[in-house]
Amino acid sequence: MSKGKRVLGLVVALSLVLFALYGVAFATKVIKVGAVYPLTGDIAPTGKLCKEGVELAVDIINGKYDLDLIMARTEGIPSLGGAKIKIIFADSQGSPRTGMAEAERLITSEHVVAMVGGYQSAVVKTASYAAERLKIPYVLSDATSPALTRRGFKYFFRVNPDDVISARNFFEFVQDMEKKFNRKLRRVALLYENTEWGSKVAAQQRKWAKEFGFKIVADIPYYHGATDVTSEVLKLKSSKPDVLMHAPYVSDAILFTKTFKKLNFNVPLWMGMSGYLDPNYIKSVGKDGEYVVVRSTFNPDLARIKPLIGKVNELYKKKYGRDMSGIAARSFNAPLVLADAINRAGSLDPDAIRKVLLETDIPGDKILMAWKGVKFNKIHQNIYARYILVQIQGGKYHTVWPWNVASTKVVFPVPAWNKR
Amino acid sequence: MEKGKHLYYVVLVVLAIVFPIVFNVPFVQHVAIMVFMYGMLAESWNVIGGYSGLFSFGQAAFFGIGAYTSTLLYMQLGLTPWIGMIAGGLVAIAAGIAIGYPCSKLKGHYFAIATIAFAWIINILFTNWSFVGAATGLSPELAPADSWYAFQFRSSKLPYYYIGLFLMLLTVYVVNKVIKSKTGFYLRALGENEEVAASLGVNIAKYRLISISIASFFTAVAGSFYAQYVLYIDPPSVLAHFLSVEIVLIAMFGGSGTIWGPIWGALILVPLSQYARAIWGGMGSGLDIMVYGFVIMVFSIFRPRGVVSFFIRK
Repeated sequence: MSKGKRVLGLVVALSLVLFALYGVAFATKVIKVGAVYPLTGDIAPTGKLCKEGVELAVDIINGKYDLDLIMARTEGIPSLGGAKIKIIFADSQGSPRTGMAEAERLITSEHVVAMVGGYQSAVVKTASYAAERLKIPYVLSDATSPALTRRGFKYFFRVNPDDVISARNFFEFVQDMEKKFNRKLRRVALLYENTEWGSKVAAQQRKWAKEFGFKIVADIPYYHGATDVTSEVLKLKSSKPDVLMHAPYVSDAILFTKTFKKLNFNVPLWMGMSGYLDPNYIKSVGKDGEYVVVRSTFNPDLARIKPLIGKVNELYKKKYGRDMSGIAARSFNAPLVLADAINRAGSLDPDAIRKVLLETDIPGDKILMAWKGVKFNKIHQNIYARYILVQIQGGKYHTVWPWNVASTKVVFPVPAWNKR
Repeated sequence: MEKGKHLYYVVLVVLAIVFPIVFNVPFVQHVAIMVFMYGMLAESWNVIGGYSGLFSFGQAAFFGIGAYTSTLLYMQLGLTPWIGMIAGGLVAIAAGIAIGYPCSKLKGHYFAIATIAFAWIINILFTNWSFVGAATGLSPELAPADSWYAFQFRSSKLPYYYIGLFLMLLTVYVVNKVIKSKTGFYLRALGENEEVAASLGVNIAKYRLISISIASFFTAVAGSFYAQYVLYIDPPSVLAHFLSVEIVLIAMFGGSGTIWGPIWGALILVPLSQYARAIWGGMGSGLDIMVYGFVIMVFSIFRPRGVVSFFIRK
């Protein structure tokens, strides 16, 4: 071997060592966390809202903020010398296959120590499977399919409530209403779009209706792209329900509202979700959407009872120029819960992080949501996660339930169409 | 000359075998697996679209049929997906004949439209059929460890890589054999001009169905492979119209009507889309998709006969 070659070899070897050392040094300063969201395709607008929620959470973790929120008053991760969290975002394109591939890439090529987010249950299903295989903790706060936490995964945790909790909360609310207004509301009608989400929601509602002793008087699936729903509404009308529980996307929520009015279908308690929360719903139906009770996890008016919500909303407004939506607020939670766990673990070892995640017990006043806190059960579902219910009054959403967080009194019964 | 060509193929195959060991990075391996899968799909399409002149825009239906058949057989009867894969291929042949027979008079655009409609029907059917999981899709129970019987490998992507490579090469081999055979001449005659072929005594309906059967079978096998790789299938991921379009795009981009054209198409387009997404996807600006689209545009303007036209001297 010539001298030149030997020198070259030495230089290469040295630079490799330096590179490796640099990598180690780098790793102690920045902690990479992966997040897969639908950033292109038809759900991209929602994916971007999720991303904003995550970004704000990371700002709060890495900077010093005078907020009564976990990880806010310190900079970075104190137990790791103030190391900063960096989120590496990847695009799932709304596809389970891409979500899985991107999760794998983030873990094996970007060397993220944990994963957050996902938004769509179908994508979380495959992305979290990749994380589980590669033994990387995954903290979710924005997908609701109950199946996700029922696979016996070791490294997967969910902070937000799922559709089982949603169904239970609906019936708890109806029971509370019965007590408050001293009136029986036992006849329940289920109306839902017939794909993945809607049909799973209905299955849960059926189960809880039985548990709570309610009677299902109508059980009506429909295709969310339908252009005429007269027969569905006539069926509803003839079943004479006390309560309507509707699981729609936005366009069908609008169509049903218009058809209810046209056919004069009146129901004392009108409950909805998802599509009813879309800003476009109120815009298109105007006053006809009044008094619908909608499930949510967050509402800016909660600032009244929880000043923290107002403060975080101000930060969000400053950064993005508009109010924080329920979608962004939901995604905001996972990075904080994860950062808190990393801090308590004082290590980036996946098993150490997993261990402290299991011990997580964050009190309610340290999180953004109006929950009792964060604590995981056997299947790693946050037991304190619950929904709030908001009612549309005067063209805005107002929190009406649980009673202790309500900002406004619930209007009941919904006035008949001819008396509005 | 022939001998030299063989050697060339042997070297390529050896390189393909060594590749994942040298580049032991899961994402690189994932991209390679996707190249094999799309190569296989594009090559299958090549039989009908490239040689026989039947422009099918509904291949996703057969892909989905393969994915659903093997997954259902495994979930319901515990049958190994290896057999399920072949069963899926056979079901796809049956479906291909069922749609191909009534459409045997349709040509060109009309055949294309019929296949689009067929794929949509299958999509809507599966979205609403609770036995196959409806809109929720199916996810087989995850095996606790690597299992050849369950066709699931957790610890490494290498098995998927080699199975994918094998399936793609098998597809190329079979297609090559068929095309070089007498049947292949009939198929090409169909593609050139149906009337002339018929006047020379080629049984058009029969050879159309043969062509459709070959394409359906391998497309379905790729579908089963996909199902075992991702372990979660639902109508939007295995029965999407977009998938049908991708298959045609890759085959045309590489050069349809040639044996290696579709493989070249997959070899260029799949890594391009995957890496563009890995690099720019996280910004959420859609830049990766624009770059992908731009490359396809440039090629279709300057190389309308596909990438292989670089290698064919005329």
